[in-house]
Amino acid sequence: MPDPLFAHGVGLAVVVIVLVKVVVAFTVLLVSTMLMVWFERKVISDMQNRIGPNRAGPFGLLQSLADGTKLFFKEDLLPERADRFVFRLAPLLAVVPAFLVFAVIPVGGIVTIAHHTVELQVADPPMGILFLLAMSSVAVYGTMLAGWSSGSKYPLLGAVRASAQMISYEAALGLTVVTVVLEAHSLSTRSIIASQAQHFWQWNVIRLGFVPFAIFLIASTAEMNRPPFDLAEGESELGGGFNTEYSSLRFALFYLAEFMNTITMSALAVTLFFGGPDGPGFHFLRWLWPILWFLGKTTAFCYVQVWIRASLPRMRYDQLMDLGWKRLIPLALGWLLVVAGVNLSAAWGFAIIGGGVLAAGLLYQSLSVGRRRRETVTQPPAARALAGVPLRPVARPGGTGG
Amino acid sequence: MGSLDSYLPILILFVLALAFAGLSIFASKLLAPKRPTSAKEAPYECGIVPTEGPPQRFPVRFYLIAMIFVIFDIEIIFLFPWAVVYNELGRFGLVEIVVFAAAVFFSFLYLLANGALDWGPVKRIRPVTAAAQRTTSSTVRRVGAGSGEAA
Repeated sequence: MPDPLFAHGVGLAVVVIVLVKVVVAFTVLLVSTMLMVWFERKVISDMQNRIGPNRAGPFGLLQSLADGTKLFFKEDLLPERADRFVFRLAPLLAVVPAFLVFAVIPVGGIVTIAHHTVELQVADPPMGILFLLAMSSVAVYGTMLAGWSSGSKYPLLGAVRASAQMISYEAALGLTVVTVVLEAHSLSTRSIIASQAQHFWQWNVIRLGFVPFAIFLIASTAEMNRPPFDLAEGESELGGGFNTEYSSLRFALFYLAEFMNTITMSALAVTLFFGGPDGPGFHFLRWLWPILWFLGKTTAFCYVQVWIRASLPRMRYDQLMDLGWKRLIPLALGWLLVVAGVNLSAAWGFAIIGGGVLAAGLLYQSLSVGRRRRETVTQPPAARALAGVPLRPVARPGGTGG
Repeated sequence: MGSLDSYLPILILFVLALAFAGLSIFASKLLAPKRPTSAKEAPYECGIVPTEGPPQRFPVRFYLIAMIFVIFDIEIIFLFPWAVVYNELGRFGLVEIVVFAAAVFFSFLYLLANGALDWGPVKRIRPVTAAAQRTTSSTVRRVGAGSGEAA
């Protein structure tokens, strides 16, 4: 179903409505990103039993604004070994997709303005969810090129790690999105929330059986490089990760993109699994309640993101990759097939579940084969001594003594 | 134009975001001082003066991950149109996708069994039987007792 706003061609009124929508979304996104930075710092402070930002503005609300303004006045350094063009391009590649991803998120219901049917979202292309995945893939370029162009060791290592991590979890993320599309029969985000409307047991989190949502939550956290998956910026080993060499406003743009992605991913989780702006409302101010529901649910998810960050320790890189490839991807694929089978009939569902159990057994078997191949047995010194090889002399400190 | 109309807001947002980022960088260029020194422009390594450039070669695992990702991403791209029309396809669609998923899954199993997705150094194991031969007389060197001590 195409965007009804463009059903009768593009006239002046339509262009004005589009402009207003874009400017409002842009401003709200910027302001809410600043609030998100404040919210994260404040909540984490509470969880760690300290006060957090409390100087700039009431409750420290303007702290992010102050930090951002400060960064305008800081010296912008260009490392001598940097690839100048790519180094300047990378922050744009990070921040522009972060804005664009939000464009397809439905923030409210459908209203009528000047005889035009307007969906409260920036754009509703027929390929909405694919556009979203495409833009989040472009963001990988921002990370990768930032690290590569810095001409420095730690950013490069951080960027390679981050890109491998982001593409790994993108596969699991994509599979859960396919599961949602299977229920909605459409790639448009508006149709996806329409398929979950009316009752909360129609929400995909319940209808699809919680597992896709859990995978989505883990994968989206990893996709954003947020703790506990923030190996790209493991401070103890990599300095600051891919953006170590960035300073001044270019650094601010990376920071902005990171927090904007946090908000967008929370909003996406709400859209895909929690009915988007769906919820009970009153008969007056009909347009308002869906927006409030959307904001409330998204804020709850932002809180969950902060909560996860405050609770969980950072994972090791091999654990991260194991979780993504060996557990989440097979599980997401299997669950997708089960949902497809159950949609057809219960018998097919059971057949697929049976096949899934068999596949899980095969998976376990090949994992243990892989583990056996990697473990090499070293011969202990005692065994060599028995075979007639003399024991290695014990190294003594200070070889000249004696 | 037709169906491309619905991308008009995205285009406007793209221009706006680009303008925002560009103007902020331009403003920062006007406002910020520019006093580079050789220490500031050197690669940051926590205060240590770098003696060599960044590594040119990377563990082959990263390339492997990228290649395996391409396979999975292509699978997912095929799944999207399938998911949209699944209800019309019915039983045929289910069987087709199970065959397709199985083909990808078995090659995935082959990769796992070959250790293509394992990270970290190879784990070395000492056989348990060696423990029986390790006694205090064979492992502990007593002061003044061993003949090797005089060397």
